[in-house]
Amino acid sequence: MRFEALKEIGNIGSGNAATSLSSMLQTRIDMSVPQVWLIPLEKINLAMGDLDQTRVALYLKVEGDASGKAMFVLSEYSAQLIAKKLLYLPELPDIFNDEMAQSALKEAGNIMVSSFVIALSTFSGIPLQLSTPALAIDMIGALLDAVLLEGGQIDDNVLIIDTKLSAAEELEGKFLFIPDGGALDKLLGVFGI
Amino acid sequence: MSNIIIVGMADYKVGKMPDKLMTVGLGSCIGVCIYDLQLQIAGMAHIMLPSSKEITKGNPAKFADTCIEMMLGDLYKLGAVKARLKAKMAGGAQMFSFAGKAPFLKIGERNAQAVGDEIKKTGIPMLAFDVGGTFGRTIHFDIKSGDLNIRTINHGEKVI
Repeated sequence: MRFEALKEIGNIGSGNAATSLSSMLQTRIDMSVPQVWLIPLEKINLAMGDLDQTRVALYLKVEGDASGKAMFVLSEYSAQLIAKKLLYLPELPDIFNDEMAQSALKEAGNIMVSSFVIALSTFSGIPLQLSTPALAIDMIGALLDAVLLEGGQIDDNVLIIDTKLSAAEELEGKFLFIPDGGALDKLLGVFGI
Repeated sequence: MSNIIIVGMADYKVGKMPDKLMTVGLGSCIGVCIYDLQLQIAGMAHIMLPSSKEITKGNPAKFADTCIEMMLGDLYKLGAVKARLKAKMAGGAQMFSFAGKAPFLKIGERNAQAVGDEIKKTGIPMLAFDVGGTFGRTIHFDIKSGDLNIRTINHGEKVI
């Protein structure tokens, strides 16, 4: 029941985020049914796949009564493709060094996470705010541990609401929402659970 | 046949020659190896937080102090001799930075400091380390040679 409610939260928020990505890129975006993981830290690879893969991650903190961490995770190629489309570039940019491309991705991440948060906030009636976006390109394991540890503490099990987004030209991304401990009860409270 | 023993987040493992120990994608976490080259045994831990004293609950393997103590206990059970033990570590990066904001907790730096301090307390020499920076690391420890291989995505590869 709690998992179902969390999936619904993922659906509402990620659906809005996918719509905003779709309108930014002027392309159709498909969204998976959100998966809800409650997973011990040492098994986090089961949810995330090989932790060694290079990924581009946009990270924003969600602040307010239902605080948490939001991440938009892309393959290097998908990030290049999004930046190329947003900036009308003739070819794929070097995502490691091209600051314009990074800035465009941050903006896209900002808009997506904002859409997620607005949907969540409207639905739950809980006011939420966002931090500025941070971007990093590295091994997904390293990115994830930094996000998880950002508050300086961590539970043994992590709850992740995970939605896959995909589009033509092999564009693929993941939208993750990791609610903080106390946020979970607040969000579930909306469902009367 | 040598096996690769994979150490997950907030976990530690010990192994014997010819096995290799590995942990993938260290960001602000620390990978620390303690080894007895003569006996050809070693332990590797993937530590997430500096101290169990600030936070009382949870898996002891995620904290520097409690994890190192447990891993040493396992190494002694396998016959490790304290005077022969050596340590190496890597990790402790700052992966994300927010525009115009100093990272208030610097968890990577604090982790490196805490693991260094805990190893110092045990009297085991820390022979080499590669910590800090803004990039992730995947590490392999060769129990036979005592070499710690550190691979990054955009900052090269090295052996310490």
